[in-house]
Amino acid sequence: MTLEARRLILTGRVQGVGYRPFVYNRAVELGLRGTVLNGSGKVFVHAEGEVEALERLEHDLVNAAPPLARPELASSERVEPQGLDGFAILSSDASTEAEIHVPPDLFTCDDCLAELTGREERRFAYPFINCTQCGPRYTIITAMPYDRPNTSMAGFPLCDDCRAEYENPADRRFHAQPLACPVCGPQLEYVPAVGATSVATDVSFSAERSRLTSLLRAIEALEQGQILAIKGVGGYHLVCDAASDEAVQTLRERKRRPHKPLAVMFPLAGEDGLDAARAYLDLDEVTERALIDPARPIVLCPRRSDVSRDRAFTKNGVATDVAPTLRLSRYLAPGLCELGAFLPYSPLHHELLNGFGRPVVATSGNVSGEPVITDNREAEERLAGVADAFLHHDRPIVRPADDPVVRPMAGRSRLIRPGRGIAPVERRLPGKLSRPVIATGGHMKDTVALAWGDRVVVSPHVGDLDSPRSNDIFNILINDLQSLYDVKYHRIACDLHPGYASTRWARKQGAPLVRVQHHAAHASALAGEHADVERWLVFTWDGVGYGGDGSLWGGEALAGRPGQWQRAASFRPFRLVGGDKAGREPWRSAAALLWADGQDVRASLARDDSAAQSNDREQDALLLAKQAWDQGSNTFETSAAGRLFDAAAALVLGRTHASFEGQGPMELEQIAVAGADAIPLPLAPDGTGLLRSDWAPLLPILGDESMTQAERAGVFHETMARALADQAEAIARSVAFDAVGLSGGVFQNRLLTERVVAILAARGVDVRLHEALPANDGGLCFGQVIEALALQHMNVGAT
Amino acid sequence: MEDRYISLAHGNGGRYMRELIAEIFARHLSATGADDGLDVTLDAAPIRLDGGETYMTTDGFIVQPLEFPGGDIGSLAVNGTVNDLAVSGATPRFLSLNAFIEEGLEVATLDRIVKSLGAAAREAGVQVVAGDTKVLPRGEGGGLYLATTGVGVRPAGLELGLQHIRPGDSILVSGPIGDHGICVMLARQDFQISGNVRSDCGNVIALAKAAMAFDGLRFMRDPTRAGLAGVSYEIAQQAGVTVRLRETDVPVRDPVRMVCEMLGYDPYYLACEGRCIAVVAPEQAEALLAEWQKLPEGEGAAIIGEIRDGAARTVLETELAGERILDDLEEDPLPRIC
Repeated sequence: MTLEARRLILTGRVQGVGYRPFVYNRAVELGLRGTVLNGSGKVFVHAEGEVEALERLEHDLVNAAPPLARPELASSERVEPQGLDGFAILSSDASTEAEIHVPPDLFTCDDCLAELTGREERRFAYPFINCTQCGPRYTIITAMPYDRPNTSMAGFPLCDDCRAEYENPADRRFHAQPLACPVCGPQLEYVPAVGATSVATDVSFSAERSRLTSLLRAIEALEQGQILAIKGVGGYHLVCDAASDEAVQTLRERKRRPHKPLAVMFPLAGEDGLDAARAYLDLDEVTERALIDPARPIVLCPRRSDVSRDRAFTKNGVATDVAPTLRLSRYLAPGLCELGAFLPYSPLHHELLNGFGRPVVATSGNVSGEPVITDNREAEERLAGVADAFLHHDRPIVRPADDPVVRPMAGRSRLIRPGRGIAPVERRLPGKLSRPVIATGGHMKDTVALAWGDRVVVSPHVGDLDSPRSNDIFNILINDLQSLYDVKYHRIACDLHPGYASTRWARKQGAPLVRVQHHAAHASALAGEHADVERWLVFTWDGVGYGGDGSLWGGEALAGRPGQWQRAASFRPFRLVGGDKAGREPWRSAAALLWADGQDVRASLARDDSAAQSNDREQDALLLAKQAWDQGSNTFETSAAGRLFDAAAALVLGRTHASFEGQGPMELEQIAVAGADAIPLPLAPDGTGLLRSDWAPLLPILGDESMTQAERAGVFHETMARALADQAEAIARSVAFDAVGLSGGVFQNRLLTERVVAILAARGVDVRLHEALPANDGGLCFGQVIEALALQHMNVGAT
Repeated sequence: MEDRYISLAHGNGGRYMRELIAEIFARHLSATGADDGLDVTLDAAPIRLDGGETYMTTDGFIVQPLEFPGGDIGSLAVNGTVNDLAVSGATPRFLSLNAFIEEGLEVATLDRIVKSLGAAAREAGVQVVAGDTKVLPRGEGGGLYLATTGVGVRPAGLELGLQHIRPGDSILVSGPIGDHGICVMLARQDFQISGNVRSDCGNVIALAKAAMAFDGLRFMRDPTRAGLAGVSYEIAQQAGVTVRLRETDVPVRDPVRMVCEMLGYDPYYLACEGRCIAVVAPEQAEALLAEWQKLPEGEGAAIIGEIRDGAARTVLETELAGERILDDLEEDPLPRIC
């Protein structure tokens, strides 16, 4: 029997995932003696005993780790045995310099779920149950290392029972930092909105009764069709009965959100938990896997096909013939065949859904475009006109994390919005930064990234930087990322657009700036995800990005690699009138194309059904727009593919005004027939030699009323996909590339993306899509970091 | 004057120039009484200022077109300067005038403009006591540029200024915003729309006087370039407070709103030339509003927001219950939205 000792260092995601108790238990099982210690992100193990057992431990620590851990064995060395007795978990060592990983918020594990529903358990029905394998993390951590005093649980001293669990190495709550029970932990509080008729319930004030009562009152309110603001993990949800047209309509009216899809939370049911969802949704392997992913994202899933694709499409986008066997309100996602679905991820959600028994709408409790609200008082103030009642709790949310959103595309789920359970998104860089960088992203759907060494972390969704709250959270996240990861930025990477709030912020800080062109950032974000590709051709298609040449880009094919992107192709530019208005008024894009083509625009194209106006006013307004267009007054040249989709939505569907970003293109995609024929778009170099596809041949088809809307939408998509493939082919004649990439918000369009992938793959082209970050502007900050890294190697860029 | 167009000779110091000054400037700029007008024989004019601290301001005017519905560069040159004095709490008394005239300007146009300038001065109760004209070669002048310097008197001990602004104070505007900006834009582009948008060009002296009767008055400003947003930005930055404005309470005329919506302009950034913004103690806001609304130029006045503790910025509470930051005006606002 050979005795020896080893010192093992483990890195990766080993904090907040029950890793130390796991090490302890494994070591004890193997009869080893020693210590385990957490040091700012690394786990240090000293173990002594038989060589075979040590070998086994080393293997298991990496390969048999708890499900949420992602350990990497950084080093293993033989050391002198110290003749220790037993195995001990030492308290965290904050002085050790090491890699920090901030764990995301975790869904409720099966063990806790079992306790939650076990009548004899002391945490029966306790909505804040958690353990080392589950519970909140990112949203409760105030500082690293991740220990209870550094969380928003610091204000909840443990009761004796909980302390015993916390200190018992054999317990699954050993060092579970957010550990809580009905005696010592957070509590619910039900508060009817001021002026709202409260639901009559026998109220008693014992903690347990108040907990049960609060929940029961909330469930009762839902049954009565009321709208609740419910505090969850990363913020508040607005919740109502998903089957009630009246409740959903009321929510839409109060939130002033006439059409934007509302996410629906389905109760966990059946063997795999998906039975309830399956009753309403057409699930496949990809959507199923996405729904039960530990991050519990909102998954855009097709609804069960009770809705024909060629159904009547009324002007306001409300489908009229929805008749599913199991009723969900028809107003959840009007005009769309997909529904944003997700499963309960916190014990409170489980309790609520179990009690209510049916799907509920659970949409971010926020004001449009802002980060989700986290504070009890702020919720009562700002959601006062929306919610009938509030279900608060007293565990503070340190920073917001909206629910993440994914959409299955081209064989796997793709991130649309990074959020709770996913963020902070930690990635490795393909090289080392000499100095830490903060990347500020864009303006809409913003995220920020902190990068240092070979690491980068991307924040959850911040929102649109027009509002004060978004800007405040933007600032908070920039500070928090730095303090959590103990890194100070030296340089700032930002967009070129002078009017972005994120760029304005960057300019004011006085640090060296790396200004990254919008589409170069998109391309680099993709390149940063696929380090194996050297020479790229990336199609960056979106709504608008500052081109740096005074025009607005958005349909650009960029060839090269990070730091060296060259514009290789684009679309024929067109002139848009109305500045920022174009984003929400697709008719402007349609009018721009028609006017450029020498055609007249009927007043009806510019009509906004939601705003009653006299015909004279309409005529006047359109005449004014045309004059402005003729004279170039407040107009902008753009080559944005996103605007072409807007134009098509206006011409085909009459979607002249959008109540949310991307509404027209989303509706167009969902109505489009598959297998339509493309029409060829002329592709020729412009005066500067840049290849440009001309959209003009699309116009007669988009306006051809002898074809159905579905047919025209189909032709449009196929034409755009072909135009892309043709550009790639033309560029390949003069520029060598190893792979074609697709980035930018337009590639959230599943039909377009899958057609492009199919066409290019058939031509033997390697096509790459985003895998861990969004294709939309939420991925910009990551791309800016990749650009900063590339430019650093070229010794340029910092100004 | 026999000439139909201004020539370089009108700037040569000789007969042509004397004629120009006598027949256009002196004629229109003498006040009601013959004695207290512009005395063209003096190199320098004596002025007498009593009853408080002396305030002086100066401004240049380069508007295109020179004449627009509701005003012209002449009335603008008076009101712009007079209003700067008025919102500082001073009673405007005297003006100087510099005219840079481009060769080729129609004499009749100049005559109309100077006449309008004289009328605006009389209405404001100021005398133009000094002046100069220069003629610029064709192509170098934009028709006509004017510069005015104004002097006024402010009662001693008046506490008025950004430093007096306190959280809780109310913000008022004396009438609809954006009229001047949209009017000039439409006139410049020769847009034909049936909605009649007139510039609000006018003096705010009576408005300022009415406001100064309130001891809770903290600050006044006329929202010219960069508009209401510009003034709010300055208040927020200089006083270190949050300025909250309510979109639904800020008066904007229908045609102005329509043009803004159609062409993508933001009314908050458009220039006014006859409006006054006042910051006043909250308990006096309603009373000041009532006083303003009694005046013809204050008919459309409104309480539009308040001062709050918080980050130095302007927050607009939007019609849709959202909040939007009104940031400093960009030189060249470009679309940002996807």
